[in-house]
Amino acid sequence: MREGLTALGRRVGESLMVRTTRHRRFAWAIAVLGPVLVAASLIGLRPSVGLAGYLFATMLVAVAAAVTGGRWSALAAAAIAVPLGDFYFAPPYGSVTFEREGDLFVFVGFVVVVAVVGILVDQLLGLFQQQAALRRVATLVAGAATAEELFAAVTEEVGQQLPVDFVRMARYESDHSITFVAARGTPNEAFGLGMNMKIEEVSVSGLVLRTGQPARIDNYGDVPGLLGQVARTLGMRSAVGVPIIVEDRIWGMMLVGSPAKFPADTEARLASFMDLLSTAIANAESRTELAASRARVVAAADETRRRIERDLHDGTQQRLVSLAMELRAAEGRVPSDLPDARTAFSSAARGLTEAVEDLQEISRGIHPAILSKGGLTPAIKTLARRSAVAVELDLQVADRLPRQVEVAAYYIVSEALTNVAKYAQASLVHVDVHANDSVIELAVRDDGIGGADPSRGSGLVGLKDRVEALGGTITFGGGPGDGTSVEARIPLDGKSLLEAERRRAAAPRS
Amino acid sequence: MIETRGPDRIDGSIRFPLKAAGGERWGLAGRQGRADNRSVPSPSRTTETATERRLSPRVVLADDDVLLREGLASLLGRSGFDVVGQAGDGAQLLALVRSTRPDVAIVDIRMPPGHATEGLDAARVIREELPETAIVVLSAHVEVDEAMELLAGGERVGYLLKTRVTDVAEFIDTVERIVAGAAVVDPALVRELVSARRRRDPLDVLSPREREVLGLMAEGASNSGIAGRIFVSEGTVEKHVRSILGKLDLPESGTDHRRVLAVLKFLEAR
Repeated sequence: MREGLTALGRRVGESLMVRTTRHRRFAWAIAVLGPVLVAASLIGLRPSVGLAGYLFATMLVAVAAAVTGGRWSALAAAAIAVPLGDFYFAPPYGSVTFEREGDLFVFVGFVVVVAVVGILVDQLLGLFQQQAALRRVATLVAGAATAEELFAAVTEEVGQQLPVDFVRMARYESDHSITFVAARGTPNEAFGLGMNMKIEEVSVSGLVLRTGQPARIDNYGDVPGLLGQVARTLGMRSAVGVPIIVEDRIWGMMLVGSPAKFPADTEARLASFMDLLSTAIANAESRTELAASRARVVAAADETRRRIERDLHDGTQQRLVSLAMELRAAEGRVPSDLPDARTAFSSAARGLTEAVEDLQEISRGIHPAILSKGGLTPAIKTLARRSAVAVELDLQVADRLPRQVEVAAYYIVSEALTNVAKYAQASLVHVDVHANDSVIELAVRDDGIGGADPSRGSGLVGLKDRVEALGGTITFGGGPGDGTSVEARIPLDGKSLLEAERRRAAAPRS
Repeated sequence: MIETRGPDRIDGSIRFPLKAAGGERWGLAGRQGRADNRSVPSPSRTTETATERRLSPRVVLADDDVLLREGLASLLGRSGFDVVGQAGDGAQLLALVRSTRPDVAIVDIRMPPGHATEGLDAARVIREELPETAIVVLSAHVEVDEAMELLAGGERVGYLLKTRVTDVAEFIDTVERIVAGAAVVDPALVRELVSARRRRDPLDVLSPREREVLGLMAEGASNSGIAGRIFVSEGTVEKHVRSILGKLDLPESGTDHRRVLAVLKFLEAR
């Protein structure tokens, strides 16, 4: 019940948050018709309600107008109520003369109160709207929104709050330029998303960068250079920019532009968003750094494994094979009247060969050479062939994938099959691997006893790091009796968090 | 650093006649096309060099590991082969094969610069330019795709684990069989293919003996070779082979390497 009321309250509140044209029309209808209707309904009770009663009733009308349409509709209601009140409710009735001095004070007081109420309502609603907008942004910050999503959302909120059409979020680059990372309204190539432009001498971006404070240009009419020209082409008269400060450096700025002059409180209203944005960017950057560092750790480990495999292959194994051949040659030179010596050489050579074969198995476990050579398809087929449990393979991978993704996918299947063989008591395991242009999806499901604890297969848990470092997800499922499943998704395109963040991390900063 | 050694510089110490039985096979098949540029054989002791030149398969080695390559060269030399050149990478190998026209090239799959499948790439080029040249590819790991690619190129190919070189007699015998026209796939790969577990395994229709024969077919053994390995008559092997081909719905293939390829394809795809 209480939740229902709260939700209703929020919905009503939110419907009032943003005043649409329909709201405003409704407000003007209230302002014009309200005092008239009130007068009509109270006229019969005139002796008992009096002027004060009428003005009190119209005050409520004015508040309604203020809530729906703002202070000006409230004042309009007052402006209509004053002559009506004097005509019908202030003696002498039937004329607008403000004859009694006391009534005049009442009217003046009424108008002042309506004005104050109107302004308060406006400010309160403005505050509510801003709080709601901030709450929406905060929700995004707390959630797993990507930096791009967040930037776009903040830009949109700023646009609706002010309200203004042209909003850009820009990042300062180290080469004295800015890059637009989010854009709302007024499509223009030079100011488009992802565009980079030099910071000009006379510009909001230049002022913000120099001072670290909000800055504005009230008239682009006399701004020289390309910027002024573009602004004039766009019909933009004034612009305001506020800095986005992340960990004590000027990361970027929020820029708004308008054909009219901006009110004085624009900077303050923008600034309230910037703290949240700074926190979000700082968070995203530490997430980026974490993801990048995980990726680096994984890549370094892979590189080490590859090097060990290469060293084993090109060094140790070759040497051992050579030695075995030498032993065989020596065996051949042993005189035939020394059969024991011959046997000793022979068995040493055989033992050495077996050791080399063991070494090859180990080096295959360290890094499967076939993965680098042929990619996922042959590598997973080999895994399936070597599986102790029968494997039903559905493999749809057309091309080579990024190396790290191939390695991750390989180890997921490899570890999952190892676990199936060890714990699942399964008779069949399905391995599905599907890749398209943007994502690879893997699923390994068995028909075993299920109820697997992923922590038991420590190898699987280790995969989580690897997969998440690539911006992917991995889940382990299956209750007792359902069999066990391992499912993973790894993005291949640049849309993943990691890629987005990596791009930004790689981008130069001021 | 191509080390070439022309036939005129053969040290006469090759103990080839010891391997006469194996030598006969390659001596028959691999040679006819070359008779024109070789001296006429003579049984006389005084022309021993010429005799050996005719009978010793001429081999080129390619491996970036010098120690191993030298070891292999001396092993082959002692076993009746004439090592006419050694190469350290794919490009050198191709140059060497073009200039010396060997009977067989024994090639490490993984060589500079990429340490990936340079040997396989070189083998492909050799196949195109000099299809008569037998090719033996050595690899630390045997992969079915690589085996099938090699086999698809034609006969006279081998794909072996590198460690096979340490079993000298077996290795020499295998190389000789390849020079004589056989297609040989490493038993380790065949074992892996045959033992792979499938839900509805078509191999279940085969008897244990037939499975064994199928494995030997995949390794590239001829019917008489299979007969020798499992101690039955060649006629019995033929019966097994016909039964296997019938049960698995495989076509009778004209040549050995096609038979190997068909069996491998079947095993891989089942």
